[in-house]
Amino acid sequence: MKRVGVDVGGTFTDLIYVDDEAGVIRVHKLPTTPGDPSQGTIQGIEEVTSGAGESPSALDQVFHGTTIATNIVIEHSGATVGMITTEGYRDILHIARHKKPLNFSNYQDLPWQRYPVVRRRYRLTVPERVTKDGSVLVPLDEEAAREQVRKLKEAGVDAVAVCFLFSFVNDAHEARVAEIVREEFPEAFLSVSSEVLPQYREYERFSTVCLNAYIGPKVATYVSRLQDELTRLGVRTGVHLMTSASGVATAQAAVDRPVNLLMSGPVAGVVGGIWAGKHAGYGNVITLDVGGTSADIGLAQEGRLRMKHLLDTKVGPYQAMIPMVDVDTIGAGGGSIAYVDQGGIFRVGPRSAGAVPGPAAYNRGGTEATATDALVNLGWLSPEAFLGGGMELDAGLARKAFAEGPAAALGMSVEEASMGAAQILTHSMVQSIEENSVRKGYDPRDFALVAEGGAGPLFAAQIALEVGTPTVIVPPYPGIAAAMGLLATDMVYEYVATTYQRLSKLDASALQRRFEELEELAVRQLADDGIDPENVVVQRIADCRYLGQGYELRVDAPSGQIGPQWAEKVRADFHDIHEREYSRRFEDSDIEIPNVRVRGIGLMPPLRTPEIEHGDESPDAALRHEGSAWFRVAGELRDVPTRYYERAALKAGNRLVGPAIVTQYDSTTVIPPGLAAHVDRFGNIVIAISADSAEMASGATEEIAA
Amino acid sequence: MSVTEYEVGRQPGLPTRKRVEVDPITLRVLGGAFHAIAKEMAGVLFRMSYSSIIRESEDLGAGIFDAEGRELCESDSTPMHIGSLPWYIRGFLHRLGDEIEPGDVIVHNHPYLGASHSPDVAVAVPIFSGGELLGFAAVTAHVLDVGGSFPGINADAFDVYAEAKLYNGLRWYRRGELNVDVDRMIFDNVRTETMNRGDMNAMLAACQLGCERFLRLVERYGVEVVMSAAYDWMDYSERMLRAEIAKIPDGTYGPVVGWLDDDARNRGVQLRVETRVIVEGDEVTIDLTGSNPEVPTGYNVPFEGSLLVSCYYAIRTILLDETTFPEHVPQNDGVFRPVKVIAPKGTIFNPTFPRACFSRFCQTQRVVDNTILALAEALPDKVTAGNSAGIHFCAYAGFDESIGEYWLYLEVNEGSYGGRQGKDAMDSVDNLMANTRNNPIEELDQRFPMRCDQYELRPEPAAPGKWRGGVGIIRRNRFLVDGTYSCEGDRQTDPPKAIFGGWDGLVASCRKNPDTAEEEYLPAKVTGIPFRAGEFIEFREPNAAGYGDPLERDPAQVREDVLDDFTTIELARDAYGVVFADERTLEIDPAATEAKRAELLAGRDGRSLTEYFRDRLIPSNAPVSIAGNREFGIEPA
Repeated sequence: MKRVGVDVGGTFTDLIYVDDEAGVIRVHKLPTTPGDPSQGTIQGIEEVTSGAGESPSALDQVFHGTTIATNIVIEHSGATVGMITTEGYRDILHIARHKKPLNFSNYQDLPWQRYPVVRRRYRLTVPERVTKDGSVLVPLDEEAAREQVRKLKEAGVDAVAVCFLFSFVNDAHEARVAEIVREEFPEAFLSVSSEVLPQYREYERFSTVCLNAYIGPKVATYVSRLQDELTRLGVRTGVHLMTSASGVATAQAAVDRPVNLLMSGPVAGVVGGIWAGKHAGYGNVITLDVGGTSADIGLAQEGRLRMKHLLDTKVGPYQAMIPMVDVDTIGAGGGSIAYVDQGGIFRVGPRSAGAVPGPAAYNRGGTEATATDALVNLGWLSPEAFLGGGMELDAGLARKAFAEGPAAALGMSVEEASMGAAQILTHSMVQSIEENSVRKGYDPRDFALVAEGGAGPLFAAQIALEVGTPTVIVPPYPGIAAAMGLLATDMVYEYVATTYQRLSKLDASALQRRFEELEELAVRQLADDGIDPENVVVQRIADCRYLGQGYELRVDAPSGQIGPQWAEKVRADFHDIHEREYSRRFEDSDIEIPNVRVRGIGLMPPLRTPEIEHGDESPDAALRHEGSAWFRVAGELRDVPTRYYERAALKAGNRLVGPAIVTQYDSTTVIPPGLAAHVDRFGNIVIAISADSAEMASGATEEIAA
Repeated sequence: MSVTEYEVGRQPGLPTRKRVEVDPITLRVLGGAFHAIAKEMAGVLFRMSYSSIIRESEDLGAGIFDAEGRELCESDSTPMHIGSLPWYIRGFLHRLGDEIEPGDVIVHNHPYLGASHSPDVAVAVPIFSGGELLGFAAVTAHVLDVGGSFPGINADAFDVYAEAKLYNGLRWYRRGELNVDVDRMIFDNVRTETMNRGDMNAMLAACQLGCERFLRLVERYGVEVVMSAAYDWMDYSERMLRAEIAKIPDGTYGPVVGWLDDDARNRGVQLRVETRVIVEGDEVTIDLTGSNPEVPTGYNVPFEGSLLVSCYYAIRTILLDETTFPEHVPQNDGVFRPVKVIAPKGTIFNPTFPRACFSRFCQTQRVVDNTILALAEALPDKVTAGNSAGIHFCAYAGFDESIGEYWLYLEVNEGSYGGRQGKDAMDSVDNLMANTRNNPIEELDQRFPMRCDQYELRPEPAAPGKWRGGVGIIRRNRFLVDGTYSCEGDRQTDPPKAIFGGWDGLVASCRKNPDTAEEEYLPAKVTGIPFRAGEFIEFREPNAAGYGDPLERDPAQVREDVLDDFTTIELARDAYGVVFADERTLEIDPAATEAKRAELLAGRDGRSLTEYFRDRLIPSNAPVSIAGNREFGIEPA
């Protein structure tokens, strides 16, 4: 099978081409075309396939990750949306949860008021009200609805969202208004709450459904343009798009429910990290993807992704109640600015120098000290080898930025201040990893750390020493982990329904019916996508909470007949999950299932990469030069003789002894003193972090403890 | 044990523990770690708790404190809880002295010994290292019921014994063992045992987690380094705040005088809140001398746990605004140090034992609002026009025979902010120290025998100003079974004050069965009012005041306001002097607008939205209300 994964990021479009049969793998990077990202995407596909001596028409799969949906929201550049909602509740979107983002600020903006997804003038109401049990308190006034739809049409909105209270119990009113919209205003993009998200909590549902309408028209345009271009290139299969739920969906499914594309960006990186871990023989991984401005951190046990808590599924400042992979993003990257604030505190990030002016060493006018400059000062980044020599770094400017900035302010040497900046940055990543592992009941000693992104492999060994993961894996192409992740994913659709069931008084047949309805949706969708039934997997999830609690946790539920055994299994698993999440369990409490979910998975052929050439222990053939770099050794900052290797020249079986620095086109791996690594048969650099090595490297940990 | 000997407001002074030098990198690392611990404690608490007042509203606080109650860190939850825990700790230390042992779990809510008010119960776990009591991991949270005279809220309680069961440094657990009799005493004497138990278990879990996390830091970095770093961070926050205070010219600002509606019993008698802000060098004093004598009801303010907190909040928020101030300054003991508070004994802000002080929130909000207004001339780019600075905090309750317990729903009805320099105000949001989350309607209707029949912005427009004031909400809730309603609220008589030529805001109102034959206006503070099944309540929360002269507002922006119903065509003309040539297309008539503005400029004095809408609230009869009335046979007006 010949396939392409193409991930469009803010700066670069990354591609990977794989030919499973021929054992060929090619990677490619080109600048993103912000005006119309489909341009760069198409150009990249042409270039990467022709580089492999193929034409796009030979491709069996094109999997695509895009931030287009997220960017529309963050840049406030979506469609003009009109909303039809229940009379008496016009401002649910304006009030939100009546909580401010910041406690100590009279000058903050409430994003949902400052940049409303639907302006108040386009939020029109109609008489209707369904109660909690689905009965009709106020019948729908169809004429009023028709009148309001006409008003929206006359006002020139692009999209219409229909959002009524309790429509997840009884969708008749919403369905009828949807019909009216189709009759009166067929050209509008239509987003109906009971179709998009039949789940309780009105603000979160309305917000999600209106976001769906807000991004819908642009996403549809983008996807169809991309489809057309691919057809022109002769690509026989359509494009598939990455969703926030960690799988891909067909172009049609993505256009029908574009909200699922939101925040899919960092997910592919985590999936890529999981795949890289599995490939190297590790099922439990913590993934660390560090770029220029931010670091994404994910965790997977036995290759399974974790999903975010309901309160945390946001897109920028807006609530979106969609399944999202639990990825933690923090403002720490190569461009993070290092400075001493007016109170004398040494800070690194979250402010970033970005790509322009960028770090001082880029010589593009930046004068503030950044993490990248620190690494140049320490000798970890080689000025001449940056981006494969495509861009020369100016070491003098990096030095000057620190000498005049934090080093002067703290009365330290440039090297001390640079190491300090690296440690502070490292620490913020350590803290995020701890929040996502130890603090959720996962023992980091059972995990491998997968280092991705341009800067992940620079920090990974030091982080592993502090967190306690015994292994670091640097995959062969750390800079395009997300594109790799696209090819390692399956097709995934998730459906949800609100049920309000209790385990002690389970209405088994009703629950069974609800699951079966959702399962049918999932199976039908996958069949429509042309997935062979033998490759279809259907999973059940029960959102559970102790009766009386307000927030639920996801519990994988058994398939098959629902009865006492089913309930017992869910009960036992929920107690365990609750205990891991909150370190307490309440065996006496009844358990409530407010929602059930079904995940339909279409299995994709597994991604395999070819083995690299085998060599012996000595990596000397890859040695490019010997120099020196600054490390902490036994607590002391020292200039240590260091070997610099070229990644592409490494062979399987090579053993690298720190201090060693491995450079490749878009990433650099640091193996600190006292640690050693080997290259496995797939070209992964596997760094062993033993207790002994921790002692030898000691580095920051010891220093801080002193 | 007598509490009268307790010395109110006594600060422990600066820490005396020997300090070591902490390098800047470790300092930064530990600062991040402290904040993460507090945040994690709060996260555990609200996600696993039972009552909606904690889990949805996040009416809670969490943090780590030293052995004398100095705050190392606090969670970003509801600011009213921030800064109160130090006083809880000093309060229970008064009772327990050195009797505290590892494994103890302390419960405290005594309002004359540091508590914010009696329903805000604190749970604290001592942190011991090497036999030394280093400090406490502690949380406060608003529990549904504390066994006062009426379910949930007791604004007119006779004395502090009537408002709640008092927990004065009770050891719920001793040396790790449940103190069974104390446990029974606590939970047998509240109306909502199951919920209180669930919530207090969550509080305990949060404290244990905080203790564990803090000890891990101690283990890793050493006790001297950790405690020294904690004190260094306090010094940092203090330094940052002092630097900002020093920028304000020395002098006395104010007095600003505001009026509270009544004391919950003596109707029509307003209560005076007088506020001066005195700046001397890098210190600031908030002086409430001249404020009302204490009242015979529960409408007094605990000095330590509530008044001090509101003053710290006011100064920190004005001077270190998280949006405009470039650095994140952590919330700890340091930000309390430069702020002094004067409230004479025997006033509502420093009541005498055993006066009840259950309901104190609206008064403290007015202190914050007055402080902001007092500083308006000095700091025009840091203040807002007058805020709603009040809430209608209500308790809906009834007895559920099927479970043999009360059902009890606490609700915060939010207000709005005043206009501010360069931007319009925030609408329909928790104001100032309040920062709770509302309960979803689809959760409320499902969980309680109630139905929300309306929830949106109130129909009256925003208070005019160059930068308009915020709009409050209208909300209607209907009882579906017989029950009782209690409320502590305010701001039904004294509107939010404008600054720099804006309009004063619009007061709140509260009606039982509005727009029916049985309509009845209710005061903001009532206790145990019976509601029959089908009866309903309506709140209209204040529209806060405008900032700056409305005649300076761009007519095009006024047109936008009309399109979004933030103002009306009439008010566009009467307040902004904007005249439309065509009221359908809203085309502006420039000549008529110029003439109207000139006319207004000539003959105009301060205007108030409350005056403008005097006795003529805009009717709001959503079809859901009408259908509900029909359902329960309530006659139309």
